[in-house]
Amino acid sequence: MKSALLLVPVVLLVALLVASCTSSEPRPRQPGTLFVSVEQQSAWVRNFNPLFTGAGSRWPTRAGVYECMEVFIPSTGQWTPWLATAHAWSEDHRTLRFTLREGVRWSDGRPFTAGDVAFTFQLLKKHPALDAGGAWRFLEDVRAEGTHAVAFQFSRVYIPGFSELAHQPIVPRHVWEKVADPVTFTNPEPVGTGPFTQVNVFRNQVYELGRNPNYWQPGKPAVSALRFLAFPTNDQANLALVEGEVDWAGNFVPAVDRTFVSRDPEHHTRWFPLYGSTVFLYPNTTRPPFNDVRVRKALSMALDRERLVDIAMYGYTRPADATALNDSYTGWRDAEAASGAWVRHDEAAANRLMDEAGLTRGPDGLRRMPDGQPLELELEVVGGWSDWVRAGQVLARDLRKLGIQAHLKTYEFGAWYARLQKGEFQLAIAWSLDGPTPYTFYKWLLSPRTVRPVGEVAAANWHRFGDVEADALLTRFETESSPEKQKELMAGVQRRFSELAPAIPLFPNPSWGEASSKRFTGFPSAQNPYARLSPHAEPDSLLVLTALAPREP
Amino acid sequence: MHYVLRRLGFYLIAAWASLTLNFVIPRLAPGDPASAMFARFEGRVQPEAMDALRAAFGFTDAPLYMQYFTYLKHLLTGDLGLSYAYYPSRVSEVIGTGLVWTLGLAGCAVIVSFVVGSLLGVFAAWNRGGWLDSVAAPAFAFLGAFPYFWLAMLALYLFGFGLGWFPLRHAYSHDLEPGLSFTFVADVARHAVLPAVSIVVATLGGWMLSMRNTMVATLGTDTLRLAHAKGLPPRQVMFRYAARNALLPNVTGFGMALGFVLSGSLLTEIVFSYPGTGYLLILAVRNQDYPLMQGLFLVITLAVLAANFAVDLLCLWLDPRTRAHA
Repeated sequence: MKSALLLVPVVLLVALLVASCTSSEPRPRQPGTLFVSVEQQSAWVRNFNPLFTGAGSRWPTRAGVYECMEVFIPSTGQWTPWLATAHAWSEDHRTLRFTLREGVRWSDGRPFTAGDVAFTFQLLKKHPALDAGGAWRFLEDVRAEGTHAVAFQFSRVYIPGFSELAHQPIVPRHVWEKVADPVTFTNPEPVGTGPFTQVNVFRNQVYELGRNPNYWQPGKPAVSALRFLAFPTNDQANLALVEGEVDWAGNFVPAVDRTFVSRDPEHHTRWFPLYGSTVFLYPNTTRPPFNDVRVRKALSMALDRERLVDIAMYGYTRPADATALNDSYTGWRDAEAASGAWVRHDEAAANRLMDEAGLTRGPDGLRRMPDGQPLELELEVVGGWSDWVRAGQVLARDLRKLGIQAHLKTYEFGAWYARLQKGEFQLAIAWSLDGPTPYTFYKWLLSPRTVRPVGEVAAANWHRFGDVEADALLTRFETESSPEKQKELMAGVQRRFSELAPAIPLFPNPSWGEASSKRFTGFPSAQNPYARLSPHAEPDSLLVLTALAPREP
Repeated sequence: MHYVLRRLGFYLIAAWASLTLNFVIPRLAPGDPASAMFARFEGRVQPEAMDALRAAFGFTDAPLYMQYFTYLKHLLTGDLGLSYAYYPSRVSEVIGTGLVWTLGLAGCAVIVSFVVGSLLGVFAAWNRGGWLDSVAAPAFAFLGAFPYFWLAMLALYLFGFGLGWFPLRHAYSHDLEPGLSFTFVADVARHAVLPAVSIVVATLGGWMLSMRNTMVATLGTDTLRLAHAKGLPPRQVMFRYAARNALLPNVTGFGMALGFVLSGSLLTEIVFSYPGTGYLLILAVRNQDYPLMQGLFLVITLAVLAANFAVDLLCLWLDPRTRAHA
């Protein structure tokens, strides 16, 4: 026993010594292989299912292995033809026809046809779990008309439905018709039309996707492979980025200019356009005093948003205006609605509004509810989300200056989200919903159709606010195809929003994107905004994948 | 033999009880997995998807006892179900990506720490007041008192980032093909050095001190005096008489430590990006991934029970009194 016991550590120590003596020189990397950091995982699991959004399919399955018919570019507000070259509505707007690109082939060499598009949408109909965008709420039928045209028959006029159809990843019929259950199919050997379809390497710490041998854009992609290393935490991912191991990333990096850009100013770039979802302070409007618009506006005016974005967001963003729209909707913004004063810091006005609402200060300086109770509020955020926790601290302090006893309460994510969805909170910080037009955004902020009773789970409109007038405008928007009229209607919605202040906008989220041009060129930037830089930004990341090229040695 | 069977019966009941707890506890948590998953998209997926997500994950409103029987049935057939966080991958496949690395890294580290710590404890007690006893023992206890996370980060920063002696992350270099080649094995070992040493440094002091203290007590017994008086060689007295008797409490502790290897190396895996099961556990909790949580708890529970059973047998062999009792 004695000798056996001694043997184990000796063997292990020798092994460690041998190991430490072997070379630690990094082996040269394959030229043309782009290192991307987009998902944070401790180990990769092989899954390339593009249809089931709830799944953890590996990036870039939904826009890179597979492709959609048209791609929306937030910086220009335009649609770019992709698998489809054109689309046309019928006179009555009940039929939408896409003309498909000729000469496109699947990565296994078979031709891409209208039958594949029709089949993909039929799959969504058969398996509602795959229909994340809810296309079959407004569709009646999908038919292939010959090999290069596909017609979508609508059950009602619903113009915003276009984006759901145009952005749907299309799968090949000849592969997926043999799949027994497309919801639980992990699609280990994907066959797609996208630029990268070949799984070169797949291990728990690394995977690599190679070029589609039959890609329809001649000479593209110029990048020969995409390589992904498993980084379980932001810190590890950022370390690899700073060290120059990763070429393209979409991570939140604290003090990015100092820690990343200045390390190699010639090559390291970051671009954080404000295209992300707007962050709100949601008041539960079913509860007094938040059912009073004066109180909501008073809370909003008590906030010093400049300080908030400096402290909570490292100054990466700007205070929200009274439309709450992010910068991808710049063309939609109505100047009159945006000038609403209730999002500007004005303590005197905030105090006046509170007094008007009957919430006057008691002798101790604290405001009282009409029943004499001091106004005590709880502000809920997720425990580990440091930016929101900092924001919550700033907000609570500003509210205390208004004479409100505001307490910041942090919850574990699941508990926080459950309370938010069921409307069992007073104040909460949360995100908002987006789409190519502000339609989705405002529908979930203002439409009575999205209001659920307290206690019932709501996907959004957590503040539970509905306005009939705004809803009438949104409903007309659904059937309006003229861009001028659409803009007019949306301006009306924005004015309603600014008037009613159903939720308190704080700041639009940046879309995080970092790149190193040491080995590759062609990344989008503020000067060349052909797509968002963030690899999270699907599907316009398709444009980046096809635009990048290895730097000449 | 009777004793062994009785212990086995006890472990079976314990296994059943913990499996039941596995089932109950996650279901007491607020929120539901489809919402949690939906939330991860932070507004990038339309709300209409939520009902579809619920349908896909097969959420049933079936009464709890029905779900419980389905759960037991699936366990017996070895079917751990589909993970929510890695949907639609199988739980067994997800756990498989990490199990071997965790077992290898933390298992070796715990064994090294136990063996080296216990040996050091023996020598420290034997040469009481010597260098080992008065300097090394308190030094290791001091190191062990640091928060492990901080210790590991420091090691990573100094030896990985600063001096560049060891890799910063992962279990092997990403451009190597796994296999039984010398290059690959050496690479794996090199990647394991920092995480393993950090675990050993953090836990060595505990083993050493407990071994030393029991050993000191044993050294004062009549048995030892008799052994000395008989004129046995000191080494034999030290190991066969003193250490063997003093080892019992440490062996019991070792059983526990081995069992907790699977969950306990969680911080190590986070700091060193080691692809093990600890990180999977966090991910499972964060995403309310019940099947994955249950799968991991099952593995951990069975490991703890198996390790303790093995320790029971070991004690039976080390300590004749337990045999006499049976």
